[in-house]
Amino acid sequence: MASTPHVVVVGGGSTGCGIVRDLATRGVDATLVEKGNLTHGTTGRMHGLLHSGGRYAVSDRKSARECIEENMVVRDIAAHCVEETGGLFVKRPEDSEEYFREKLEGCRACDIPVEVIDGAEARRREPYLARDVEKAITVPDAAVDPFRLCVANAADAIEHGARVATHAEVTDVLVEDGAVVGVEVEHGDGPGKRSDHGPEGESRPAPGETETIRADHVINAAGAWSGEIGAMAGVDVAVRPSKGVMTVMNVRQVDTVINRCKPKGDADIVVPHETACILGTTDEEVDDPEDYPEEEWEVDRVIDELAELVPPLADARTLRSFWGVRPLYEPPGTGTDDPTDITRDYFLLDHDERDDLPGLTTVVGGKLTTYRLMAESITDHVCEKFGVDADCVTADEPLPGSEDFSVLRDYMDEFGLRSPVGRRSTQRLGSRADEVLKTDEPNPVVCTCEGVTRAEIRDAMTGENGAGADLNAVRIRTRASMGNCQGGFCAHAIAAELHPDYDEPTARAALDELYQERWKGQRHALWGEQLSQAMLSRTLHALTLSRDADPATLDDDVDFGAFDEGPENGPDDGARRDAPAGADTGGGR
Amino acid sequence: MTDDISENDDRESPAPGVPRLGSDEQPAVYLDAEADAASGDRNGDGAPATDGGTSAEGSSAASAPNPDPDPDPDAYDPVDVFEGGDLDLREGADSCYKCTTCDTSCPVAEVDDEFPGPKFQGPEQWRLKRKEDAEIDDSITSCSNCMRCDSACPSSVPLSQMHNEARGEFVERQMSKLSREYVRNRILSNYRFFASIASKAPRLANAATKIPGAMWLAEKTLGVTSEREFPEFAEQTFREWWRERGGAAVENPDKRVAYFHGCYSNYNTPEVGKAMVRVFEHYGYEVMVPPQKCSGTPMFANGMLSDARRAAETNVEHLVEAIGEGADVIASCTSCSLSLRQEYPELFDIHGIEDLSENTFEALEYLRIYEDVEADVADAEVDDGAFAYHAPCHARNQGLDRQALETFRELDGAAIEDVGDSCSGISGTYGWKAEKYDVSMEIGADMFEHMEDAEGETGMTECPTCAMQMEHGTGYEVEHPLQLLERALVEGS
Repeated sequence: MASTPHVVVVGGGSTGCGIVRDLATRGVDATLVEKGNLTHGTTGRMHGLLHSGGRYAVSDRKSARECIEENMVVRDIAAHCVEETGGLFVKRPEDSEEYFREKLEGCRACDIPVEVIDGAEARRREPYLARDVEKAITVPDAAVDPFRLCVANAADAIEHGARVATHAEVTDVLVEDGAVVGVEVEHGDGPGKRSDHGPEGESRPAPGETETIRADHVINAAGAWSGEIGAMAGVDVAVRPSKGVMTVMNVRQVDTVINRCKPKGDADIVVPHETACILGTTDEEVDDPEDYPEEEWEVDRVIDELAELVPPLADARTLRSFWGVRPLYEPPGTGTDDPTDITRDYFLLDHDERDDLPGLTTVVGGKLTTYRLMAESITDHVCEKFGVDADCVTADEPLPGSEDFSVLRDYMDEFGLRSPVGRRSTQRLGSRADEVLKTDEPNPVVCTCEGVTRAEIRDAMTGENGAGADLNAVRIRTRASMGNCQGGFCAHAIAAELHPDYDEPTARAALDELYQERWKGQRHALWGEQLSQAMLSRTLHALTLSRDADPATLDDDVDFGAFDEGPENGPDDGARRDAPAGADTGGGR
Repeated sequence: MTDDISENDDRESPAPGVPRLGSDEQPAVYLDAEADAASGDRNGDGAPATDGGTSAEGSSAASAPNPDPDPDPDAYDPVDVFEGGDLDLREGADSCYKCTTCDTSCPVAEVDDEFPGPKFQGPEQWRLKRKEDAEIDDSITSCSNCMRCDSACPSSVPLSQMHNEARGEFVERQMSKLSREYVRNRILSNYRFFASIASKAPRLANAATKIPGAMWLAEKTLGVTSEREFPEFAEQTFREWWRERGGAAVENPDKRVAYFHGCYSNYNTPEVGKAMVRVFEHYGYEVMVPPQKCSGTPMFANGMLSDARRAAETNVEHLVEAIGEGADVIASCTSCSLSLRQEYPELFDIHGIEDLSENTFEALEYLRIYEDVEADVADAEVDDGAFAYHAPCHARNQGLDRQALETFRELDGAAIEDVGDSCSGISGTYGWKAEKYDVSMEIGADMFEHMEDAEGETGMTECPTCAMQMEHGTGYEVEHPLQLLERALVEGS
C-alpha cells in the first residue's frame, strides 16, 4: 500500500473514465465508482461534438487551443469513436460581418485550420443549408460517441488493473483526523446493477450492499454532482449546473457539423451523429442537477432556430429530446449572471491547499473534447503528491478498439453481414470487429434501425467490461434501440438475449428499464411520425406482448383453474385439465 | 396521317403553352458524367409528335448545358443541387415506423429467405447510409420492382423510389461493367433496341430463337434462362401497320389521345395496339402515335438509370408536345403507364415531366372515365367463353386491378374470373434471369394453380410479361382486355 497508492475516482463520465485510465496506466491502484452506468451524467447527455476549438476562438482562446490539440489526439487514440465530419460556421445575412471576421482571425490565431467558402459552395457540400446562407468558415469539427469513448477508457483501465464499479453511489465521504480517507458506496440492487469489474480474486459486494472503500486519495469528478460530493466532505464546491436540451432527429439532414456564426450560443448547432442529427441547445441555470423542468419551449426553440440554418429541420421527424446539465464552475467571487458567460475552462481544486482537507481533489468545468488533457493534469497532480514517477501515455496509446484498423477491409464477406449493417457494426467496434463479429453461430440483426447484430449485443453483455443485464448500458455500447422505433421492435429481443445467463424476472425487469428509458425521451417528440411510432410500439407492447398487465408479473400465482376449458378440449385429450374450476390448481408458470 | 397533323410537321417549336425542355432541367439521379455527355449526340430535326413513322429515333432537344447555373435561389429544390445529381432519400426514412407491412406484401421475400425485403432495401438501408460512406447491399438486385410495397405501406414511404435509386447507384458504382450479369441486364433492359433489329427480319429472328441450342447458348453465355421460349416477333410492327394504314382514321381536335404503345405492342403483339386504335376510334377519338422509346420499366428494374433517362428525354419531349396539342397520353401496358406516371417524376427532373405524369392514363381506365363503356358492353355480345384474368402488380398500384372484371361483367358471351391477387412472378426481365427463374416460378405458382382452377382456358391481363408467365405456366393463350373490347364494340357492332 505504501508503494502503490489507492485512488478512488468518483464519477464515470468522460473525466472520471479518463482519469482512471491515466492512473491505471501509470501503475496507480485505482477504483472508479459511478452511481449510474458509465456516462450516466452529463457525458451521456451531450451532442457528441468533438470541438475544433472554433466555438471558443473569439471568447476563450486558451480553450480553443486546447480543443484543437486534443481534437487531433482523440482522433488518433479513439478513431473508432470519432467520425471526421468536418464543421462549418455559417453566416446568415442578419449575422454580424464583424463577428465573422473575428471568428476567422481567432481560429487562425489558435492554429485551427480554416477556410472561407461562399454560400454556393457551402450548399454544394450541404444541400439542405438555407438558401440565404452567405458564407461559411470550415473547421475540423468532428462527431464523437461519448459512450463508446468512456467505455473504451474504462476497459483500458480495467486491463491495467483498475476496478470500475457502476451503479455504486457514493453515500458518504469518509473523513478521519481532518483528512479524506475513502468513500462509502451503496451498490444498486436492481436487475443488472452488478457491473463491477476489476482484478480477479477480489470478493465483490452483493447488490444492495453498502461498501466502505478506503483510499489514499479521492478524486471528485462527479461533474454537476461534485458540489454534493464536496458537501459530504464538508467543503464548498460552487458548481453552477446549467441545463440544455438536445433534440435527436431521425435521419441526418447534414453530414457536417453546422454551427451558426454568432456570439452567444443558444440553439446554434447541428451535429450529425451516427444515423441521426442532434440539435442543440439551450443554457439555463438550474438548482438541482437531478430535478429540473424539461420544458417544451426549449425543444421548440432549438428546432425553430436551427431551421433558419437548415430549413428541412422544421418538418423533419424528431425521435426524442434529452437534457444535459453542464457542470459549470467559476471561482468564488466571479459573479457572472448569465450562464452562457461562465467560462468553459476546467478547474482543479486541491482541497488540501484550499480548505485544509487533504486527501481530496475536485475537478470541475471543462468539456468532453479536452477530457484527456484534464485527466492528465489531475493525474499529474495526484502522482506528484505520492511521488509516483511515471509518464502519461494516454495521448499516444490507442484505446481498445482503435489499435489496428486493418480489419475494416473485407468485413462483409468475413462476417456475412449486409453492407450497411456490416459497415456500421465495424465502425462501432473498430479493431474489435473481428473478435466480436466472427462467430459460427447465426448472427441475425436484432436492432434493425441501427443495424446491430446479436453478436454485438452479446458482446456488450458478456464481453470484457460487459454491461451484464443493464440494458441501457448495452444500448450505449451498441446503439441498439436508438433508432426510429426507440426499442418498440427490439427492446424485448435484446432482453431475450439475457437468457440463459439471467433468470426470467431479471430479464423482464431489465426490459422494463430499457423501455422506460426510451419512453422518457420520446415524450418530447410526440407529434407527427414519432407519435405514430409511439402508438404502434404501445400497441405491440401493451396488446401483443401483454406488457400492460402481464399475469406473469403479478405477485400471486395465476389461477389457471379460473379459465374455462375452451371449445377444443374434449375430456379425452387428457392433459392438465382434470382440476375443476375453483379447485386449487395452484401451479405455476 | 391527317392534314391537320401534317401541318405541324414544319413547326419548329411546340404549340403555345407547351413547355419546352427548359434550363431548369437537372439530373435528379446518379448519372456518371460520361453517360450524360453521350446522351447529347442526337440530331435536332425536330420530329413532330404525330408523324406516325416507323422510327422513334432521332429525337431532338438535347439538354443544353445550363447557361445560368445559379438562377433564382428561391427556385432551388434541394434535389437540384446534389453533386452529380445524387438524390438523397434519407429523409424518406422519416415516414417509416417499421410496421413491416411492406415485407409481408413482398412476393420475393415470401419465397426467398435470403432476401431481406423492402423495408431493409428502402428506409433502413437509406437511414444507415452516409454521404461519403455508403455501399449498397447487393441484395437490391433481387428486388423484382413489382412495387407492391408502395401500395402496402400505410405511411407513404417512397419505397420503390428508394429501391430504384439504390439499385441505380449499385449498378453504376459497384457492379463491374464487364461482368456477365451487367451485360445480360443491359441487354434485357434494352429489349427495345434488340427487338427493333429483330423486327427488321422477324421470321429470321423467330427462327433463330428456335434453333436447337439457341436458348441453351443464351443461358450459358448470358445467364438468360433456357426454360422460357423467346417471344415471337410480329411480321409487321404496330408502327408499320399504322403507317401503311395512313395514320389516324378519325380527326377530332376535341378528343385526342396520344398512344404510348411501348415496345411489346409494337414489336410482338401489334394486335393489342390495333385494338386500342379501333376501340378509341370507335368512340370518336383522334389517335396520335408520337415517336417514342422504351418507357424505362425494364431499365429501372435493372438499375440502368442512364439508359432510362435517355429514353425518358425522348418520351417526355414528344408526349408533352402531344399534350400541348390537346391529347391525353394513353398506354395499353400498365407498366408503361405506371412508369410515365410515377417513376418518371420520382426519378428524373426533366422539364414537362410532371405534365406528362398528370396526363397519362391506362387505356381502359381512360375510356371508363369519359365513356359509358359498361353500358355499351352490356348491349354487346361476343362468343368467347371464360377468361382467367390476372391483375398485374403495376395495375394494382394504379388502382386498376378490378377494371377488367367490372367492364365485362355484363358482357354476353364472355365471363371474366379473377385468379386472385398473387404476383405472376416474372416482373418483366426478372424471370428471364437464369438465377431468378426458380424464384419467379415459385412466386407464380399460386397464379398458375388458380388459373387451372378457373373455368376459362384463355388468360387475360394488361401486362405483356405477366402474359408471358401465364402462358409459360399454363400453356394458355393470353389476351389483353382491349382485344375483347374490340370484339365486343367494334367487330360486334
